[in-house]
Amino acid sequence: MTAPVTTTPPTGQVGASLVRQLLLWLLLPQLVLWMAGGVATYRFAAGYANQAIDASLLQAGRSLARQLKPIGNGLLIDFPRAAQDVLEADPTDRQLYMVSSPPGQFILGNQSLPLPPVQDKQDDILLNTPYFYDGTMPVNGRAALHAPTGQALRLVGIYLRFGEDAAKPQTMLVQVARSSANREELARRILVDMLLPMSSLVLLMTLIVWLGIRAGLSPLARLRQQVEGRAPTDLAPLQLASAPRELWSLATAINTLLSAVQNTVATQKRFIGDAAHQLRTPLAGLKSQTEIALQLATDPELRARLQRVHDSATRSAHLVNQLLTLARAEPESVMAHDRKRFDLQRMAQTLTAEWVPRALRAHIDLGLDDSATAPVWIEANELLVREALTNLIDNALHYAGTGSQVTVRVMADHTSATPLALLQVSDTGPGLTPAERERVFERFVRASDVGQGCGLGLAIVKEIVERHQGEVQLDEVLPHGLCVSIRLPLSPTPAA
Amino acid sequence: MKLLLAEDDAMLADALQTQLSGAGFEVEHAPNGAVADYLLQKQSFDIAVLDIGLPMMDGLAVLQHVRQTQPALPVLLLSARDALDDRVAGLQAGADDYVTKPFDFPELVARLQALLRRSQPNTTSALLGQLTLDHASRRAMVSGLALELSGREWTLLALLANQREQVVTKEQITQAWSAEGGETSGGNSIEVYIHRLRRKLEDAGLVIRTVRGLGYLMEAQA
Repeated sequence: MTAPVTTTPPTGQVGASLVRQLLLWLLLPQLVLWMAGGVATYRFAAGYANQAIDASLLQAGRSLARQLKPIGNGLLIDFPRAAQDVLEADPTDRQLYMVSSPPGQFILGNQSLPLPPVQDKQDDILLNTPYFYDGTMPVNGRAALHAPTGQALRLVGIYLRFGEDAAKPQTMLVQVARSSANREELARRILVDMLLPMSSLVLLMTLIVWLGIRAGLSPLARLRQQVEGRAPTDLAPLQLASAPRELWSLATAINTLLSAVQNTVATQKRFIGDAAHQLRTPLAGLKSQTEIALQLATDPELRARLQRVHDSATRSAHLVNQLLTLARAEPESVMAHDRKRFDLQRMAQTLTAEWVPRALRAHIDLGLDDSATAPVWIEANELLVREALTNLIDNALHYAGTGSQVTVRVMADHTSATPLALLQVSDTGPGLTPAERERVFERFVRASDVGQGCGLGLAIVKEIVERHQGEVQLDEVLPHGLCVSIRLPLSPTPAA
Repeated sequence: MKLLLAEDDAMLADALQTQLSGAGFEVEHAPNGAVADYLLQKQSFDIAVLDIGLPMMDGLAVLQHVRQTQPALPVLLLSARDALDDRVAGLQAGADDYVTKPFDFPELVARLQALLRRSQPNTTSALLGQLTLDHASRRAMVSGLALELSGREWTLLALLANQREQVVTKEQITQAWSAEGGETSGGNSIEVYIHRLRRKLEDAGLVIRTVRGLGYLMEAQA
């Protein structure tokens, strides 16, 4: 079984999402523009509103100034009802006024209106020129009832000269003020009217950009699907007919890697084959030569040493076979995926029959349990399953010992949720302790020093069985012995 | 028995030559495929042992060539590769048997003898112990004395002798019997015939072993 692939990238190792980055870079300038647009709109709106207010203020200021007639050293104020009406035209937006003679001599109107910003520089004051400025109602000013303190005001101030004595001119300041609440209300309304469509535009743009990015990145998702949905041995190039140019280079790089891996796998496969040949032939020679030498040698010590050489050659040959089998059973091997449907019962019969002569030589009663002889079809790699069974029988013959019984059994197991093929090899040998049963599936672990095992047998069996979505189980046989059970998925009966 | 041994590994070839000669074969050695091919075309052999990985001309090519002129020659392939495909390719090319290196020499000899028996089934051959089988007249003798055998008993004995030291399955026995025609009977009659044969072969130095769940195996008494 392959380990589940984790799809959440480990935090801290992966850069920010491409979508997020693109959105950030596209939307941040938009937001700045939106804000700048808001500020500018407000400024413009306020400017136009000021212009309108200023015009009416100026008109009122001039009218008021006209009503002031200097008489000698005094002032005649002709302030008819009509003029007052003009000044107080809008009840919610009353105008305030004040006439004074600087410095600080109050003559007429609402007291304590803020003075124009030029007040301090008497010499620079231009006569008959309106000064527009903003101000607030002073806190303790004796203002009109309708002008609460602290209110924002827009004011105009006009300096006039009066008095007949040209040598001693007098200056008079006429001020008219108006609450700027109206102006701000106007600016605010313009701003809102502008910002609503602008905000919708920003939202719409965000949506469009997001959809665009998604569409643009969809080949990336397709690429991911192609890579994810692959069998580990499928090294065919990625199909990218409609991929954008930016992805093309990535896909080409992956395809280059894939073909390199393919080469490596092919080289490895060749190597396994070559290694088999290169190792097995000399080992066969070594074995045969020592067999001859054993026949010729008469010196008992020489014979003992030759026997050791022979055993060692046999063990090496066995180990080579086992290692090559293991290499083939590993998931990287292409062979492990080459499956077909076959009768496990038949295979067990043939293989057991092949092993009987060897078992007889070792004085072991090897047989098949013929209480269940019905065909048991499985879909698997025949060579690998054969190798697994070979290893089980070989192991049983090695470890069960002279005089014991080894029985092979194949049957369909319908007791589980999914029907399984059950293959068992049981012996009446010494068996294994529970602790040993845990460890024997590890590579190069041998339960005992008996025989010529290399400690790979059960590791190979496990590897092969797991490759086929099956499981291996070790059980105790009473009064003594070991039973190895392999369960593999049963192949469904094809429609006749 | 004249045997051609085509093996390029000098050490293995030398050992095999010695061992096969010791087992009663007259061995001719070919160090490469071209020599093997030449020898097979020029001389007559009873049996050939070909390595697959031979220099100059590979074992399968030699085999295919010799099959054109001598379809009946028993050929055993030696191979350092044991992948199923190689085995199938070898047998498809016309090999009679396939042995993977490294092998046990007694197993190789047993297989060669089985091949020879299969290729010359009708010759009178001295078999294990005191038993002699005359295939032509379908008669068996123990220490020169003829055994009284029924048709079925003879077929069973010939089968066991032909595959001696190998398992003969009940299926094979039933098949051999039905191929001969004659009476049909229940499955447990095999045991009856085996029992009779065992009695008749008591003095032949042979044992017929029952292999649990599979069938029977005949071998020399230990």
